[in-house]
This record gives sequence, C-alpha cells and structure tokens, in this order.
Amino acid sequence: MSNFLRILESEVQIAALIFMGTVYIFRLIWMFKFKSPKERTFPEGSERAGIAYSLINVAMPWAMESTRKKPGFYAQFVIFHIGVAAAISATFIIPYAPSVFKIKAVVLLFQLVIGAAFIVGLMRLYRRIINPSVRLISTLDDYLSLILMILFFAAGFLAVPNKYQKAEWPLALFFGLTAFFLIYVPFSKICHYLYYPFTRFFLGKTIGHRGVFPVKRNLMSNKFDRYERYPMRDRYQGDSS
Amino acid sequence: MIEGRLKVYEPKTDNVKKFLDLLSQRINRQIVSSMVGCVHCGMCADSCHYALARPDDPTMTPVWKADQIRRIFKRHLDWTGRIFPWWVHARYPADDEELNRLKNIVFGTCSACRRCTFNCPMGVDTAALISFTRGLLTEIGIVPEGIFNVCRDEWETGNQMAVTEADYLETLKWMKEELQAELEISEIEIPVDKPDCDFMYVINPREIKFDPRSIANAAKIFHFAGERWTLPSWGWDQTNFGLFSGDDNLGGYKAKNVYEAAKKLHAKRIVISECGHGYRATRWEGYNWANYDQKLPTESVIVMLLRYIKEGRIKVDPARNPEPVTFHDSCNIARSGGLIEEPRWALDYVCSDFREMHPNRLENFCCAGGGGLLSMAEYRPLRLEVGKIKVDQLKATGAKLVCTMCHNCVDGLADLIKHYKLNMKVVQVLDLAANALITEK
Repeated sequence: MSNFLRILESEVQIAALIFMGTVYIFRLIWMFKFKSPKERTFPEGSERAGIAYSLINVAMPWAMESTRKKPGFYAQFVIFHIGVAAAISATFIIPYAPSVFKIKAVVLLFQLVIGAAFIVGLMRLYRRIINPSVRLISTLDDYLSLILMILFFAAGFLAVPNKYQKAEWPLALFFGLTAFFLIYVPFSKICHYLYYPFTRFFLGKTIGHRGVFPVKRNLMSNKFDRYERYPMRDRYQGDSS
Repeated sequence: MIEGRLKVYEPKTDNVKKFLDLLSQRINRQIVSSMVGCVHCGMCADSCHYALARPDDPTMTPVWKADQIRRIFKRHLDWTGRIFPWWVHARYPADDEELNRLKNIVFGTCSACRRCTFNCPMGVDTAALISFTRGLLTEIGIVPEGIFNVCRDEWETGNQMAVTEADYLETLKWMKEELQAELEISEIEIPVDKPDCDFMYVINPREIKFDPRSIANAAKIFHFAGERWTLPSWGWDQTNFGLFSGDDNLGGYKAKNVYEAAKKLHAKRIVISECGHGYRATRWEGYNWANYDQKLPTESVIVMLLRYIKEGRIKVDPARNPEPVTFHDSCNIARSGGLIEEPRWALDYVCSDFREMHPNRLENFCCAGGGGLLSMAEYRPLRLEVGKIKVDQLKATGAKLVCTMCHNCVDGLADLIKHYKLNMKVVQVLDLAANALITEK
C-alpha cells in the first residue's frame, strides 16, 4: 500500500472526522441558543411515551399514511439508509479491521447492500428531476448531496474488496470522497440525522402531552371501529374531581 | 383597549427589516428544528388537500409553502444560507410586495390542519411554520382583511363577532324562555355569573348570533343531568383568532379572559362548547400564550355529555335519530386536540345508524374552511375547489347527516354541501344528543 493511500485512509479521515464533530458541536450550541417553549397545561397523555413513539416512528411504516400507502418508497428509504450505514462502516473496517473483508461472503454482502443503495440513489435522482413538485423545491445542495451519495455508493462498491495490491484508485476514490463528505456534510442537508431527534422530540412532546401520540394501532384499523370504544368508556366514570 | 395591540400596515416603514427582526426575536427551538429538518423528500404532498385537489400545481405542496418562510430563515439565520444563499435557495424578501405574496401563501393556501405534519418522516411541523409566519405578518399589518377585522373585534369587545353584553344577555334570556315553554319546566335556567358552580360554560359567539339553539340544547342537557353550571358575563367567548392570525398576544389575551372569569366565579372547571379551534385554543394553546399555569380542568362539553350518560344522569334513545350519520373530525380537535374517540362514543349512544368516514380520526381531511379561511373571502374560490377532497369523502359515506363538533367545520361543510349540491345536512353532537334526550319521567 502506498504512503498516500495509508495517510488518506487514516490520518486524513481522522482530521475530517474531528472537523465534522467540531462543526456539529457548534451547530448544537447554536440550536440550544434558541429557547424551548414551556408547557403550562395539564397533560392528557404521556410526553415520554409520545416522544418515544415519535422517535421510533421511522421504523413503523404502518404508522403514517404517507409510508403505508407507498411501501415501495419506504423500502427505498430503508435500502438507501442501510447502504449508508454499510458504506460508513466500510470506511472504518478497511483501515482498522481489514481482515473482515478477507471473508468473501462479507464482501459480497456489503457489495449487495451498497449496490442496492446505489440503484435507489439513481431512482431518487430521477424522481427529483422528473417530478415537478420535487424539482421545484430542489436546491443545488439537494442535487449535489444526492449525486455525492450515489458516487459514494459506487466507490464503496468498488472499494470493499480492499484489493489495493491490484489497484489503489478505487480505495483512493472512496476515501477521498469520504473525507470530502465529512467536511461538507455539516453544511448540507445530509446532516438531517442531527436534526431528526429535535423535530421528532418536539412533535412527540407536544402531541404526546395531548394524548394523541402514541397512536393506538387498532384505532387505525377501521374494522375495529365499533369494538374498540367500549373498554375506554370507563375513563369517564365519575372522574370529575 | 386596542391601542398598540392591533397592528396596522404602515407603508412608509421598512417592513422587511421589521419582519426579519421579529423573526429573530420570536423564533424558538421547536420552530428552528422544523426550519432545518426538512430534507425536501416531497412525501407531504399526498397528505395535503390542496396538493391533492391540484396535482398539477407544484406550489400547492406543504413543503413548497413552508420553503417560502424557510428561505428567509436560511438567509437570515442559518450558516449555509448566509454564506452561500444561492446554494440552498436562501433569499430575503425584496419588498412589501413579496411579503404580501407570502401572506397569500400562508393565509390563503393552507388551513394549518397538520395533516402533513403527521405524515412527515422527519416530523417537520409545517403547520407550526405557517402559524409562525402568519404571526410575523400580522405584527406588521400584512394580513387578510377578514382576519384583521375579527382580531380588531376580539381586542375591542372581547369576542369575535362584536356581540354586545345586552345582545348576549337578551339571547340567553330568550333561549331560557323558549326552553321553559317547550319543556313546560319553569325551573330551567341559563344562569349567568352564578358563583361556585361545578363548571363555567364558554361558547362560540356564532351560537349567540346564528345558532342560539345550540345553547338551549346544552342547557337542556345540563338541566336533566342536575348540573350546577353558569355562563360568565365576560370571558364567555372560547374562540380565539390568535390561533388563526398567529398573534400570540391576542391569543393570550382572549384565553386569559376565560381563565380569569372562571377564577372570579370560583368555578370548579371550564367546559368548552363544540368548537374546534376554540377547544384547541382554550384547552391547549391559550395557557401557553398567556403564560398562565393551568389550575382548573378544562374540557369539551362532549366529555361532560359522556360522563352524564355513563353515570346514568341522563337517558338517551338512539332511535330518535334514525337517519344515517357520519362524523367529520375537526383538525384542531383530533390531530391537535386529542379528542378522537369521544365524539364517536357519544354518537354511538345517541344515533342508530353511524357510518364512519374514510380516512378518519388523525387522517381525516380538513373541511377546507379551517385556519380562519372562512373569514377570508378572497380565498373562497380556491377553498371550494380544494374542498372537493372532503366532498368525495362525504359522498362515499352515503349518510344524510354529517356530524362535527366544530362551528367552523359546520360552516365549512355547509358551504361545500351547497356548492357541490350534496343531499346532506350538517349537525353537531349536542343537536343529536338533545334530540335523543328522554325528558319524560
């Protein structure tokens, strides 16, 4: 392995990671500078349960009409994000645990996951260009973030076999992109995972306090309409104090 | 009373600067998270009745509407938008004309029903962003005339329809006499300012002006339940245009009138008549707007009704309401209020042919008149057009009556029924309950 690739895989990544972490800390400080609204009403439900429900909502495709009615779109989301996790894992496995990718089955599994994510990325880019509603709201950041992800998946697909003896360029491309990503991500929409806990926390807290979240599963199934009501009537028995 | 509170448009002021200053002052962490959290996935489009009714118009999607304030936020407060505005569509509004366009978007193309919020994978509260923007525009007087007029009435008279105290008391007296004659019970009362009651009842001024029968229905039920109740002579209006205008000061003022009236009368609880935004404002938002810690239980009259039935304090006969009935969930009561099953349980007791509307509960579509749109005449044609989504829902039920527990929805639905020539009538839960009430001994 050349010295250039060794430094790129290790020192450069660490430096970029520290940069990203530092920017994230500043970003969080910035977020916490804004006041959080105070709740002054009696609760009807549990804020904690609402927050928990809201946070795990992403893993419950049946919970939202938007994901329930579009299972294909939800499957794309899952594949894409598993691909992201696999590609990020590869950036640590290659320099620090290279023996893992000596197992052919592991390499094939990673290539399968990252390759599927690559295809989903292309589908998402096509949708962003073709769908007038999505095109209208798309910024240069939206396009670049998606294109970068597609390139990252492609590079990851080629890099995971870790055959630097044959050719170093797939690894150089993969780690070069990773370093760029780590620096660019805090300023792009890709860092939405940093905000997800905030948006979901506030929605879950507000709606959980009012007893709307967690949504009871059977309330959403219309065939139970007439059966689900009776047990809950007890709530109104002599509780006027 | 309204000096300095109701803001009027001042063309000679630098309104853009004022708008931006207000944005910086008022924004909180919850709003910031929804500003920065959107990934532009477009999933919200299919949840919005505007976007569904106008599929070829990309400016009808919730994300596009939210982006109109988001781009200002990014330019003004967000890192990337301040340094590379062209990269993320960040932009300051150029002039008052642009602020006026923003007004037409946030007031005219969104009823803040929160359906998109519940369908956003990120949990972005687009309705909260719309309300926040409305509040900023209201503060600089760039607001639809209808909203402005109602806000003025609320500041000046303490109620949204400028009902005078004399009119209010006269209507209550008239309803009491009607009830006494109808039921031949001379003891039946509609008390005002009676201290130490079990609850203080607060109503919608629409009930005084256009639908006094709803007060009589409530009084009839309370009488047969043996309830000690009262209306206040001040602070009786539970509606609140602070919710529609985004003006938290007005919201706090209106809500505090109610809370203080209950305190003054030593009422044990506050009961809110059937009204969507009134329920949300009085039960939930009002305490926060007014910085007023809740001291008394505050609940909907439908919860009281259920309690009476459950405790056997009143008897009802569902056979007296034989016509097929469907239920329309008010957005403010279901998604933002948490009363979802309660009206259904009540209907199950008081009518014999209930038919669920689909989708329903948290997924129900807005009546198209929410968010104060009924008071903004300039947006009526679009409101009626996008109401087609609701009309399709109504038609599919085959019901003759559509029941709702919101006065705003009553008018919104009645408008749609008239416009689309449906063979339906809008009623409220208490209408059906009063009809089903067994008054014979």
